[in-house]
Amino acid sequence: MKRLRPLAVAAGLVLLAGVPWYGSDVLVQFGINALLLAVLAQGWNIIGGFTGYPSFGNSVFYGLGSYGVAIVMVQWHGSFALGLAFGVALAVVFAFVLGAPILRLRGHYFAIATLGLAQVMAAIIANVPLAGQNIGLVLPPLNDDRMFYELALTLLIAATATVYWLTRSRFGFGLIAIRENEEGAAVMGVDTTRYKVLAFTLSGTFSALAGGIHAYWITFLDPESAFDISLNVKMIIMAVFGGAGTVFGPIVGALSLSGISELLSSEVTRVAGLFFGIVIVAAVVLMPRGLADLARRGRRAGWRYFIENIRANRL
Amino acid sequence: MNALLEVDRVTRRFSGLTAVNDVSFTIGESEILGLIGPNGAGKTTLVSLISGTLEPSVGGIRFQGQALTGVPAYRRARLGIGRTFQIMQPFPGLSVLDNVAVGALFGHGGASGNLASARDKARSALEFVGLGKFISQRAESLGGPGRKRLELAKALAMQPTLLLCDEVMAGLTPVEVDEVVALLRRVRDRGISVLVIEHVMKAIRELSDRLLVLHHGEKIADGKPDAVLSDTTVIEAYLGRRRS
Repeated sequence: MKRLRPLAVAAGLVLLAGVPWYGSDVLVQFGINALLLAVLAQGWNIIGGFTGYPSFGNSVFYGLGSYGVAIVMVQWHGSFALGLAFGVALAVVFAFVLGAPILRLRGHYFAIATLGLAQVMAAIIANVPLAGQNIGLVLPPLNDDRMFYELALTLLIAATATVYWLTRSRFGFGLIAIRENEEGAAVMGVDTTRYKVLAFTLSGTFSALAGGIHAYWITFLDPESAFDISLNVKMIIMAVFGGAGTVFGPIVGALSLSGISELLSSEVTRVAGLFFGIVIVAAVVLMPRGLADLARRGRRAGWRYFIENIRANRL
Repeated sequence: MNALLEVDRVTRRFSGLTAVNDVSFTIGESEILGLIGPNGAGKTTLVSLISGTLEPSVGGIRFQGQALTGVPAYRRARLGIGRTFQIMQPFPGLSVLDNVAVGALFGHGGASGNLASARDKARSALEFVGLGKFISQRAESLGGPGRKRLELAKALAMQPTLLLCDEVMAGLTPVEVDEVVALLRRVRDRGISVLVIEHVMKAIRELSDRLLVLHHGEKIADGKPDAVLSDTTVIEAYLGRRRS
């Protein structure tokens, strides 16, 4: 089983990478969306899953990445790559400047503080002429879904490789120690403040890159869509659904939930949102630790796994 | 005996309450200092002031001649101050081995980021405290005594020069207490100075080279265990004044 794992991953990658060659246009478009969401979920996993800081500020990074690309390409007539770099630079500066004060807060307080960030950023951007104020920016269209798809997939691989590295590096152990017990981590020599800010930055970098790719693909953005808080909620749901703090959980969560949501909205259009809600509630009640934990422990415990979860949460 | 740690007229206030009041003492190299006192005497606060989770309101602490004022907890850990918590602070989701590996990765002299060698160090620390059989279990599955030992292993994996033990024997059976006493002696034999907070009087008497007594945040005695324990102020602090 263990030996087959790398093989399975490789086969899955080939299958995924080949989608633009054998899949339909609709599937490719669905794929780009799902892959970008997976990147967001994986990026959130670094700060939320590994470090234990439930960030609602990742949609800010996403927005900054989008605007980085848009400003460079529309206003400065630069290249897409330059735009991505600019977006990442904005995200890094933001993470450093605001991370230090905000990451002093823990738990709910941190969540609430980050919740405000997206609103504030949308309001600021709406007043910046360079960013097109309220009207937004229209990017030069590029009709090459294959490129966007492979780009999103590459980014997802990079994000996943980063998370994998976290599970076996000193840095990652420091983050996990912070999640498990911050005071305990500090007295054992973990520079908690620096590690938290770095995790926030790393997490934000992936969000910004995903935002940049998305902006160029969609070719339009305004403050409302770029700093959409529901996108942040989505990444959290996907990461937690799959298994926060695991390497593959967020990917599985993002891809499966994207699939379910797509299926529901094409089959039972009008009440899709309702069914999606039911799926989420059922998941939280029955498997609060995500699909990864279900795969690990559910196999042995069988249906009792679900009962135990219901009991453990006193629902 | 050279002083490894010098605590110089340290006071710590929490708004109205003075938890530690003008306390001075030293710990020598390879010395075991017992810190006792009734509940609420300020023992844990004093340990927190040394480990850096709290800063003194007044006064200073020097470690190996270096002033610790303003030095954050993580850097003190890297200087060689290891600590266990009275209320155990394991990383519940990690395996016992990885709990201890964190100490080896980040503690004193743990600047190398090599996970394999950190796990090796962790393994030997766990063998040392007698948890060798439990390395692959999750930390939260350990019982009370096991967690006490885990705390000790985590602190030891940091390879400290000063180990602060906050009630590592509380809740243990007499046999287990004897084991921990022997363990701490062996820790000292490695050249590590130990500060022990303890309520188990027999153990602390056997173990300590010197005893320090806190009462209402003030130092009321400091000296050889037998002399301190027969001191009238100390007896009064613990048992109350004899009515005459």
